[in-house]
Amino acid sequence: MLKLLKKTYYSLIFLGFYLFKLVEANLFMAWDILTPKMLDQPGFIDVEINLESETGILMLSNLVSMTPGTLVVDANLGKKLLKVHVLYMRNETKERAEIMRFQRMIKRITE
Amino acid sequence: MITALLILIGSVFILLSAIGLIRYDDLYSRMQATTKATSFGVFLILIGASIFFNNYFVYLKALFIIIFIYLTAPLGAHSISKSDKEGRLEE
Amino acid sequence: MTENVTNIILYISLGILVVALLLVFVRMFKGPSIQDRVVALDLTAFIAMGFILIYGVMAENAIYFDIPVIIALISFIGTVAISTYLKQKEKSS
Repeated sequence: MLKLLKKTYYSLIFLGFYLFKLVEANLFMAWDILTPKMLDQPGFIDVEINLESETGILMLSNLVSMTPGTLVVDANLGKKLLKVHVLYMRNETKERAEIMRFQRMIKRITE
Repeated sequence: MITALLILIGSVFILLSAIGLIRYDDLYSRMQATTKATSFGVFLILIGASIFFNNYFVYLKALFIIIFIYLTAPLGAHSISKSDKEGRLEE
Repeated sequence: MTENVTNIILYISLGILVVALLLVFVRMFKGPSIQDRVVALDLTAFIAMGFILIYGVMAENAIYFDIPVIIALISFIGTVAISTYLKQKEKSS
C-alpha cells in the first residue's frame, strides 16, 4: 500500500517534469530554427540503459525524444543500448548526464 | 478570446516546424523539428478548440488525441529512422 | 466586438497553416531521399488536422472533432507501413 502511494507520487512528479520539458523543448526548437545557423555539427551518441522493464524503456525513449536537442533513433534491448541523435555535439557530456538522471527518475516508478 | 490565442500560437508552432523542415540539412535534425514542434502545435490547437466547445465528450476526445499523438510521434520517427541505413545500431 | 477579433485571429491562423503547407510541399518536391518525403507527408497530416479543428471552431459544430481522431490513427499507420516497406526492400536487394 505504501509502495503504491509512493509510486503514484513519483508518477505525478514525472508528469509535471514531462510537461515542463515539453515547453522547454519547444522554446529551444523555436529559438534554434529562427536564429542563424551555428557551426556545431549534429551527431549520434550511444547510451547504456540500466532499466529492466520494457515500460520503463518506452517511457525513457519517449522522454528523451521530447527533450530539447535529442531524439532516440534506435534501441537494442539485448545489448541494452540506445542510439540518440544530438543536435549539438558540443553538449555531449551534458546530454549523457541528463539521460542518466532520467533513468534514475524512471527507476523509482517502475521498480 | 483565449481560444483564438491558443489556436494562433499552435499554428505558429506548426509553421516553425515547417520552416525547420526546410532549413535543416540533415534528415535527423529535420525529424527533431517535426516530432517536437508539430505535436506541441496540435496540442495547443486541441486545447483551444476544446475550451471553446466546453463539452464533456469533447474534452475526452481531445485527451485521447493528445495521448495518442504523444505516444506515436516518437514511434513514427523511430520507424522512419530504422528504414535508413545510417540510423541503425550495428549488430 | 470580441467575436469579430476572434474571427480575424482564426483567419490569420488559417493563413499561417497555408504557408506551412506550402513549405512542406517544397520539401516534398525537393527531398533528396524518400525518408524526407515520408517526414513531410507526416507533417501534412498534422496540418490537415489543424485545418479541420479551426474550421470546426468557426462553424461552431463539435462534430468536426471526430475527424482528427481518424487522421491521427491513419497517419501513424501510413508512416509505419511506408517505412517497413522501405526496410524490407533494402534488405531483399
